[in-house]
Amino acid sequence: LMEDIQTKLDNYRTAPFDARFPNQNQTKNCWSNYLDFHRCQKSLTAKGVDVTPCDWYRRVYKSLCPMSWVQKWEDQRADGTFPGKI
Amino acid sequence: MTHQAHAYHMVDPSPWPLTGAVAALLMTSGLAVWFHFHSTTLMALGTVLLLLTMYQWWRDIIREGTFQGHHTPPVQKGLRYGMILFITSEVFFFLGFFWAFYHASLAPTPELGGCWPPTGITTLDPFEVPLLNTAVLLASGVTVTWAHHSIMEGERKQAIHSLTLTILLGFYFTFLQGLEYYDAPFTIADGVYGSTFFVATGFHGLHVIIGSTFLAVCLLRQIRYHFTSEHHFGFEAAAWYWHFVDVVWLFLYISIYWWGS
Repeated sequence: LMEDIQTKLDNYRTAPFDARFPNQNQTKNCWSNYLDFHRCQKSLTAKGVDVTPCDWYRRVYKSLCPMSWVQKWEDQRADGTFPGKI
Repeated sequence: MTHQAHAYHMVDPSPWPLTGAVAALLMTSGLAVWFHFHSTTLMALGTVLLLLTMYQWWRDIIREGTFQGHHTPPVQKGLRYGMILFITSEVFFFLGFFWAFYHASLAPTPELGGCWPPTGITTLDPFEVPLLNTAVLLASGVTVTWAHHSIMEGERKQAIHSLTLTILLGFYFTFLQGLEYYDAPFTIADGVYGSTFFVATGFHGLHVIIGSTFLAVCLLRQIRYHFTSEHHFGFEAAAWYWHFVDVVWLFLYISIYWWGS
């Protein structure tokens, strides 16, 4: 178990510093990456191309965004009331 | 012999400041009563008292100045300062609402879709009625200046005509704005867009109505020969206020209607 925790700590990764969002309030960072992931996914699947490049955005928003926000946005997208442009 | 050895006006005791204060108290507490107990009586009473206070206080000022000659040059200077300071305070009042608008619109939050206008808001075309409104108010600025020059030059008929035209233009603006409000595709409850739009333009519209009323009083006074070509401060104060209202509209038009669309 100790080894598991140690390996977990060694493999710990989170979103790197993004100079576009240098301050404490990271809301726009989360929002921007959430949008970028879904836009990436939409445009690449429309072209019938592999969506692996979109992974970066997905991992960043999953690291940064509060789960409640993501859930709310998922529900809005399902409803058709999501305010962002995807 | 009781003569004052100075040119200032020591005003006779008057009940209107007290009735005005009581009116303010009744209106504010009446507002709270309306919110909690669904009764508008207190607020209505306060409003009536306010209207009576304004009518009688300003009537007394006209009596003191125009009929009794108490408005000597230093007194008039004080009145000028007063009006300028009041208009300045109104500028700050509107500044607050512009601050709110720019705060919301320069960095739109995710809830709005990160964009301005927010997702789902269909804005008014700035080149339709709002542009007409701009032309109407600018024209009224011209006519009120015409009225001023007419008064200074002793042209009684022209003063009455141009002042009337100014007031009619003011009514036309209010009428057009009323139609816009009625037909608008969004309401005050539509997020921060609706709030900033209707609070800022709403208070502006209220000031147009106040300004039109002030000008109408001046028209009545001009018809009754109150103004001389040298001394007509009441009219000048109304004209300053009217220009202020016009300038506020220009800022509203550029910021909210045009840039914000």
